[in-house]
Amino acid sequence: MTCHSPIDLLVLTNYWFGSLSASEEEKVEDHLIDCDSCSQLLERIIRLAGLTGDLARSGSLLMVVPDSFLDQISKEGFRVREYAPPLGGAIDCTVTAEDDFLIGRLAADLRGAARIDLCICESDGSLKLRLEDIPFDPNGGSVAFQQSITYAKAAPSETMIARLVAVEREGREKLLGEYTFNHTRTMPGPPG
Amino acid sequence: MEKNCSDADLARQVAASQDRESEDALLRRFAPRVRLYGRRHLRDESAAEDLVQQVLLITLEALRAGKLREPAKIASFVLGTCRMTVLDFRRNAFRRERLLQELGGHTEIVQLPTSPEYDPTQLAHCVQSLKERDRTVVVMSFYDEHKGADIAATLGISDSNVRIIRHRAIRQLLACMGGSE
Repeated sequence: MTCHSPIDLLVLTNYWFGSLSASEEEKVEDHLIDCDSCSQLLERIIRLAGLTGDLARSGSLLMVVPDSFLDQISKEGFRVREYAPPLGGAIDCTVTAEDDFLIGRLAADLRGAARIDLCICESDGSLKLRLEDIPFDPNGGSVAFQQSITYAKAAPSETMIARLVAVEREGREKLLGEYTFNHTRTMPGPPG
Repeated sequence: MEKNCSDADLARQVAASQDRESEDALLRRFAPRVRLYGRRHLRDESAAEDLVQQVLLITLEALRAGKLREPAKIASFVLGTCRMTVLDFRRNAFRRERLLQELGGHTEIVQLPTSPEYDPTQLAHCVQSLKERDRTVVVMSFYDEHKGADIAATLGISDSNVRIIRHRAIRQLLACMGGSE
């Protein structure tokens, strides 16, 4: 079962995503048809791919998402609830049983930033979670942040503060924007 | 016994004796590999299962009829049959679709082993533990199988950077889900 010349994970991954040249692909297939060990590794990658895709569809991940992803899920018929508080301002928000995705859109001037962190804070401003070095489009003018819909549907009424912070090479930090989300629970459940 | 037997030995046994046990062993061995080929090229689970059935039937028929002159080259024969059959599927996609509707999920010659099971809760934890960029890249890659170039354009990074990040994230996920590469 052990392979004496296993295919590198990078090559297998690129094979699955169709990123290899025709001759490289042929070599990989010549090997895979003869090798259970490498086939099983590819099987695990495919399994991961499928389940990760399902996770993405569940709306339960806490992450920054590109607009292309939001376009795609909308086209697929998912219901996306998006809140865009003004820079430095607050917005009242909620989530209903029919919603599939919950997005906070944080508008800011992102030009010139080398690295941006997204800080999720409690209502008193204390840091709850810091997402470091988030992906962003420097010319996009905003960051779309997906809150876990599973969490939001179960959460009590609460206030969350989001901050976008630019981190410079010397480690200095600059606040790009602060946004307050006043979440009101509208779904039945235990009191918060 | 079966595990110690090479693919070529099994193919020779099938060709020589048409022994049912050897045939089953050979089919069990190649079925998962052919299915992977099908999933990669057809991007459809049920089409991949159809490919397995068709390729293994052709292989068995060739061995029984003594058409495979060099059983040592069984893997090459199976791979070549996979390639031809996928081309054939693409040419006859319409006809295949009609047959599938007519016949539904009919009898299978091979019971395929199931894929390794992963716990979705653990996977969610593992995905959440990735670095921000890595998470976005891997989720975008696996959601609807976005092309590297599309992700690169969306995130303002290079295509090769996407490949490196994707590779790093998958390595981390596999480790997090248990077991080595």
